[in-house]
Amino acid sequence: MVRSTLKWRGLAAALVAALFAAPVTVSAQELTMWSHWAAEVSKRAFVEDAAKRFEASRPGVKIKITWYEKSALYASLKTALRAGQAPDVFYAEPDQTDYIDNNLLADLSSGINWANVEPWAKTVWTFGKGTYGFPLEASTVEVYYNTKLMADLGVTVPANGQFDQAAFLDLIKKARAKGITPMAQGVGDRPYPGSYITHEALLKKLGVKDYDALMKGTLSWSDPRVVETLTFVKQLVDAGAFPASFTSLKLGESHIYFHTNPGALMFQVASWYTSRAFNPPDKGGQPVNFPLGIMQSPAMNNGACNQCKSLAVGGSYVVNAASPRKELGIAFLNSFATPEMGNRWLENVLVQTGIKTDASKISGPNAAYFKQLAKADEGNVWYFGTPVQVMQGKPKEVFTQVINNALPAGSISVDDVVKQMNAAK
Amino acid sequence: MTQSRALRTPWRAVTVFLLPAFTLYVGFTAYPVVRTLWNSFHSVLPARESYVGLANFAELAKDEIFWRAVRNTLIWACTSPLFEVSIALLLALALYAKVPGARLFRIAWFTPVLMSYVVVGIIWAWIYNYDWGAVNYALRALGLGSWARAWLGKPETALPALIFITTWMWTGFNMVVLLAALHSLPSEVIEAAELDNCGWWSKLVFVIVPMVRATVLNLIVLSFVGKMKIFDLVWITTKGGPLWATETVSIYVYKRAFEWNTFDLGYPSAVASVWFVIVLGSVLTLTFLFRQREKLEY
Repeated sequence: MVRSTLKWRGLAAALVAALFAAPVTVSAQELTMWSHWAAEVSKRAFVEDAAKRFEASRPGVKIKITWYEKSALYASLKTALRAGQAPDVFYAEPDQTDYIDNNLLADLSSGINWANVEPWAKTVWTFGKGTYGFPLEASTVEVYYNTKLMADLGVTVPANGQFDQAAFLDLIKKARAKGITPMAQGVGDRPYPGSYITHEALLKKLGVKDYDALMKGTLSWSDPRVVETLTFVKQLVDAGAFPASFTSLKLGESHIYFHTNPGALMFQVASWYTSRAFNPPDKGGQPVNFPLGIMQSPAMNNGACNQCKSLAVGGSYVVNAASPRKELGIAFLNSFATPEMGNRWLENVLVQTGIKTDASKISGPNAAYFKQLAKADEGNVWYFGTPVQVMQGKPKEVFTQVINNALPAGSISVDDVVKQMNAAK
Repeated sequence: MTQSRALRTPWRAVTVFLLPAFTLYVGFTAYPVVRTLWNSFHSVLPARESYVGLANFAELAKDEIFWRAVRNTLIWACTSPLFEVSIALLLALALYAKVPGARLFRIAWFTPVLMSYVVVGIIWAWIYNYDWGAVNYALRALGLGSWARAWLGKPETALPALIFITTWMWTGFNMVVLLAALHSLPSEVIEAAELDNCGWWSKLVFVIVPMVRATVLNLIVLSFVGKMKIFDLVWITTKGGPLWATETVSIYVYKRAFEWNTFDLGYPSAVASVWFVIVLGSVLTLTFLFRQREKLEY
């Protein structure tokens, strides 16, 4: 009787142990990942394909990806990281230095084949002695234009693609006079499209070092060069550079506004323009055979670096420092670090990447575009990051409200811009 | 002995019945409030918290964005109830007087409150759209194209435009409550007023309004509290812009907690705590003032 009871107890204990042990074994091989880009089909497809390849190369490993929109992802991560419930790998951008300040990210210095990643892209994610993110998405700030409308205006873009201040202002006025919206910017749902014109002008006027000082609060916004640049931007705004619906126009609507309806002369935006514009027209893409040109932001009078341009690392992946599967997470990110993956990203996502690519091997209908883009970026001096990535806290909030919104909307004077920005330092 | 046992409080039953509600209250109301107050005196970062005394409150006193948010929220909370309740009273009186189509109007006017702020925000963002929104379209059709503007995009019109939306949304709710109050008025008082040859204006001002005053005051307090906490409509439409013209305290707390690239929950908690005290104080003051007036009346 006693023996029988012991036998049943032993069996029950074994069953309980098996029940609890089984999930542990499974979860040890399951890598969890949270990512932005829920609505961006090509990026999702690229990452899901990479996950499948990694699973195939490591039998028993399963990657579980949860897709979010960016703001929902950030809010979820804030609470999950604090509670120790965050996934093994997650999406981040280089401005999220708070993750690094709070020791929440694993150091990727070793474990990634950095030789296959652009050095500037690695630098963007390097803080102190560690490198904390894998830079998947990159972009440059470009001025796209409609070559047909430009020709209709009787204006020829200079050979180097760059107007000077007076010629650019004249171009804005000419377009307005013909009833064409000069630039299809809108800030209805983003904190940066309205600021491109200002920060690219400031970068050219000040050069990399002083522009960096301005962004980091060590150079005053009262600096005469800054005031001169803001005054130029105000002249563009007063000449009607932006749509009347600027404050409510959303990013997706800006794209349509530029290439389809009603059509605008220029659209200054990051080079991820293509991720929307190269979709079929019925999915919001530009019309077939759209006459797309790329030019430079205007050169500033006495500009310290008129060949300077912003280059930003965007969507990246990081590994949770508290993850028990840290090594597996790093190995997964390392699987992205090959030129083949870089080319695959470029061909399918149509956006630049921090992974080294071989543009000569890119073929297909968009090959000409990438050659045009490469030409536009030839000989540029880069500033890494955009203001909303470089700035943090109050300066970023004030920059968003003032430089992104109020100045291009014509709601504020140059003096007030200077006062507000200086007060936010 | 048996009788005293029977009269004893049945603690076990009391506990069983109270425990679920008590647990929920402690978990989802009391603890968050206490924790927020506690956080406001600390720097709260992942895996490290440190006592900072009144530092968060000292910073708050100098925080211009916070004070703009306070100003906007107070403007909204003080003006909205007046619009909502006064218009609702007029509509309720119209329905009480059985205007033609009263049943249809009651449904139409009440419908907005059935929609969520998210839906309302999207609809009104369309209505206020500069290029093809109904407001500017109507203005252009009337030859008033020069009045067309980006209603939510200009600092001088954004807050009034949002106040208009909440007025549109909540007037119907207030109207239904007031209509119920009107229907419950003692008919003999109104009949007596009519017998005394009381005109409709005098009847309204001296008989009807005083009798529904308690309902009106409750609606004002409810509307005031709702606007002091407003978040979703602003988030959907303007996110506090342009130039903080529509920044409310709730929006600012959220931005500081989740958008400012800082993990610190101490400062947002201090904002929330101060605002909690202000809202509580305002409601108690309003209640006290209304009671005083009641005492004077009777």
